[in-house]
Amino acid sequence: MSIVKEFTKGLWKEIPPFRLVLGLCPTLAVTKTASDGMGMGAAVIFVLVLSNVIISLVRKIIPKKVRIACFIVIAASLVVSVELLMQAYAYPLYQSLGIFVPLIVVNCIILGRAEAFAAKNPVLMSAADGLGMGIGFTLSLTFLGALREIFGYGKLFGSAVFGPAFKPFTFMVEAPGAFVCLGLILAAMNYLAIWQSKRAGLPEPAIAASCGGCRACAIGESKQIVEG
Amino acid sequence: MANEATAPTLYTVAAPPHWHCGRTVTGVMQQYILALLPAAVMAFIYYGFPALRVIGLSCATAVAVEALCCKAMDRPSSVDDFHAVLTGLFLAFLLPAMAPWWLVVVGAAVSIVVGKMLFGGLGGNPLCAPLVGWAILSLSWKTQMDPGAMVLATNLVDPLTQLKYLGVAAANKLSLGDLFIGKQLGALGATQVLALLVGAGYLVSRGLLKLYIPLSFLAGVFLAGLVYYLMDGSVYPSPVFHLLTGSVVLGACFLATDPNSSPVNKAAMVGFGLTAGVMTVIIRVYGMYPDGVPFAILFANLFTPMFDLIRPKPFGAR
Repeated sequence: MSIVKEFTKGLWKEIPPFRLVLGLCPTLAVTKTASDGMGMGAAVIFVLVLSNVIISLVRKIIPKKVRIACFIVIAASLVVSVELLMQAYAYPLYQSLGIFVPLIVVNCIILGRAEAFAAKNPVLMSAADGLGMGIGFTLSLTFLGALREIFGYGKLFGSAVFGPAFKPFTFMVEAPGAFVCLGLILAAMNYLAIWQSKRAGLPEPAIAASCGGCRACAIGESKQIVEG
Repeated sequence: MANEATAPTLYTVAAPPHWHCGRTVTGVMQQYILALLPAAVMAFIYYGFPALRVIGLSCATAVAVEALCCKAMDRPSSVDDFHAVLTGLFLAFLLPAMAPWWLVVVGAAVSIVVGKMLFGGLGGNPLCAPLVGWAILSLSWKTQMDPGAMVLATNLVDPLTQLKYLGVAAANKLSLGDLFIGKQLGALGATQVLALLVGAGYLVSRGLLKLYIPLSFLAGVFLAGLVYYLMDGSVYPSPVFHLLTGSVVLGACFLATDPNSSPVNKAAMVGFGLTAGVMTVIIRVYGMYPDGVPFAILFANLFTPMFDLIRPKPFGAR
């Protein structure tokens, strides 16, 4: 695996949270506006890259049995520093993100990448993986935030998109709107993958009846067949 | 499909059962629409042509959107089973008569797309489709969904807003007889209590509506209302007031009994109805919305898979 590949997989192939469905709490909670989503993503990039690098550096001296605790401690120290930095230099953003900045500690992406990648790979690879995943997460959150902001407030990054006659579709910036939006985007991603594998002449991914007819796992399997 | 093309067909037999009772989805839906006609007529009498405009626009949008969805999903069109018309009609009944046109169009489109077609069409929807549209509209556009703010040229008063903002004394001034014949401001069809009961009676007489859910829903509303009334009669209205206002009757007889989103067994249906009824009163008492019926039914719909676990014992089981 080349370093470029590790970097780019986070941008589309395994983009969180639309492909790698992790880190849903900030995805649902802080995407009321595009700028909130972007700020959250920036904080996650910072924590993710540094935690991946540090964990990769110390991966050989962490005892296997207490590795999760070590990962959490490392992530927590980084999150506290990002919180303090935000208070110092981006106070309005800190206020609008609220409790979700400290909650980055328990973001599944941080722990997931540490466990699945940084604990097994050298430093540069881990940094590339963290940067790619972080940028992918930021892009997703900004996209979702922009979608919800455009329809929910009629604005994009704070500037009006529609004319004054537009009545904001407030549902989109309420909590249920986040779930509906995310669900629709996930469905669109699956549809796109099925369409792509049809075009590439692969067998159509089977429907998993036990997962409510979702085909996401089968999509991954049919890709592995081709690659392997 | 491939086998059919290659193997020579000798003799084709339709799938069993071969003895058909004559009941079809289309027929049932038509009977439901017929049962809702008295309420539509009463809405026309009280609100005039604006009510007809909302009903027509809602039904037309629902049918058009369903046809488009079927086209996009590469399926035979299912609009001829009249379920889209019925969904549009239910949604119109929950809207104020002066609702702006875009509100009606968005509501009907959302009901069909998010409420029904995304889950695979009729039979797949876990929630009552028109209520999904209603919920999204009322979360988004509170002012346009409020009959008190939209319908100005009328002498009718909204009993639930009176209760919410002016207290129980103002609510008690309204005559229960007037409420019963639909002399109250509210969603255009949901408040026609008498006409809806006539329609429900017709469906019961044709054997299309089982009374377990409607009666247990009304009993739930009555009992919960009675508990609050007995706790403090000077703060909470009488349980009969709860029964006759808002969309309780429409919810109990038509929306909660939606066949896809309600449980199938007797005990489960009774539990389902009681849950929705009690939740209605709880939302009315503590919630920020004057009427709790649609949210209560959506809430109960979410529990339908749980209620469906209540099954009759198979014959011979211990």
